Amino acid sequence: MKRCVVVGKPNVGKTLLVLSLAEYLRARTVDITFCDPYGRRQLKTYAIGAAVLDLVGPHPHQTRCLQSIVVGVPAGKGRRVVELVDTTGLVDYIHKDSQVRKAMAQTLEAIRPADVIVHVVDAAEAGREGSGPPAGAIDRQIADFAGSRGGYFIVANKMDLPDAARGLARLQRMFSGYTVLPVSAAGRTGLREVKRHVLRNL
Amino acid sequence: MVKRRTCVRFTGSAGPFAPQSASRGLREHKRCETCERCKRCGRWCEVMLAIEPRDPHLVLAGLEEGRLSPVEALEVLKHLVEPVQARSVGAERAEELSSASAWRLKEALAELDSLIGLGKVKALVREVVAYVRIQQIRAVRQLTCEPLVLHMIFSGNPGTGKTTCARLFGKIFREMGVLEKGHLVERERADLVGEYIGHTAQKTREQVKKALGGILFIDEAYSLARGGEKDFGKEAIDTLVKAMEDFRDKFIVILAGYRDEMATFINTNPGIRSRFPIHIEFPDYTTDELLRIADLMLKKRDYRLDLAARARLEFILSRRAGPGNEHSGNARLVRNVIERAIRRQALRLVEKQNLSREELMLIRREDITDDF
Repeated sequence: MKRCVVVGKPNVGKTLLVLSLAEYLRARTVDITFCDPYGRRQLKTYAIGAAVLDLVGPHPHQTRCLQSIVVGVPAGKGRRVVELVDTTGLVDYIHKDSQVRKAMAQTLEAIRPADVIVHVVDAAEAGREGSGPPAGAIDRQIADFAGSRGGYFIVANKMDLPDAARGLARLQRMFSGYTVLPVSAAGRTGLREVKRHVLRNL
Repeated sequence: MVKRRTCVRFTGSAGPFAPQSASRGLREHKRCETCERCKRCGRWCEVMLAIEPRDPHLVLAGLEEGRLSPVEALEVLKHLVEPVQARSVGAERAEELSSASAWRLKEALAELDSLIGLGKVKALVREVVAYVRIQQIRAVRQLTCEPLVLHMIFSGNPGTGKTTCARLFGKIFREMGVLEKGHLVERERADLVGEYIGHTAQKTREQVKKALGGILFIDEAYSLARGGEKDFGKEAIDTLVKAMEDFRDKFIVILAGYRDEMATFINTNPGIRSRFPIHIEFPDYTTDELLRIADLMLKKRDYRLDLAARARLEFILSRRAGPGNEHSGNARLVRNVIERAIRRQALRLVEKQNLSREELMLIRREDITDDF
């Protein structure tokens, strides 16, 4: 089974993107495997709506372990089975919470052997008036790390918010060598493109 | 702390990111060359010291323990990953240049070379490989060439690498075009010898059929000749010899066994000696070689010995595997000791909370015991 790992800064909407994508691929319920830094695994079955309520929130570092969902992606006449892995947000600095640090190490461990890396950035944040560069040092590092190995693309999330269009343009300028897809995980737009890119890179 | 003369330079990133957009974090620590210990980036120096063994686990450990930020960890990981990628790109190119099988042959030979000790065996393999290749070239040039008779006898104490080598030979000969499939069929007396008169030939021929295109590896082959006058083992040998003549270029027979028993076996069956042109002796490993094997095994499993543990392992190996202990098990002894140590380490750690990566990898003196 191919692994598609979703990475990015905290609070850019990685979990919501994974859940929206699962919903877009006609999953009513999702079996989420939670794998914490100590290797403990736990499987929970959620309806998508309940999963969004439970796992998505306004605070950074809502996700503190690898959460993986197995979905079937229709391809040609058949279906290809892909494991979507949601990860802990990576930050630029050394985080004070050791649990979060462990979870981030786990994220880096997961992206090394991944088949597809989906890098989520916040377009609304990038387009905000008077903000610095559209993406942080960690985004650049991820692009450098993953961009050289293929199976990598960038998702500019939160396109439903104001300023996002400007942010998308800035992001496209900054990551000019890479594919940047405009997506709104909350508004369920742009998911078709994401699916196509995941399939193409399998 | 060890001081480094030059720090490894972190040049930010190439590609679409021009240096002016380099982040604060990276710019501060960039270009700290020629300093004993950098004024600003003491932390970077430690980082570089920590990853000196070029081990991604240590980088992740640094991230967990708060010595590295994710940005720095990724930067370091990128540098660790690159050589591997460069090699795989090289691999692709090699595959394009020559055929894929040449590459696989090289891999198999490299695997053989990575085995510890076995100097004589390696030299002999090179000889055989060269011989086979020259014979093939001669055949192309219409020169007379001897049919390749590559039946072998392996003699050596248990755990000296006979089966491992046989398996590698299968791979090597397949890639050289000597064998069709190169698989290894491992058989012993019980698989060849039947229960009633006439059954043996049938059974042996069945095994030979299975081995066609590959290697028939008969372990403890001397047991075929041990039963006395009326034993069916003789019949098995006769059938085997006939099959070796019939399917000369289709398969390879390897007879393996302990040294002394094999010597008497060969001496009592003069026909055998002449039909197996290649004799390979597998000498016992020295304690030093056993220790290197242990290191390799541990490294493959992501474990590490501390100094005291290493000393104790050396003591155990030198006592158990010393001269006069032919049946110590050699490399198998090492594996058993190590597997026991890994289990004991697990027992020591299982009750603890918050294990660090370091602890999970380290095997201490008290983990290593003699009885397993």
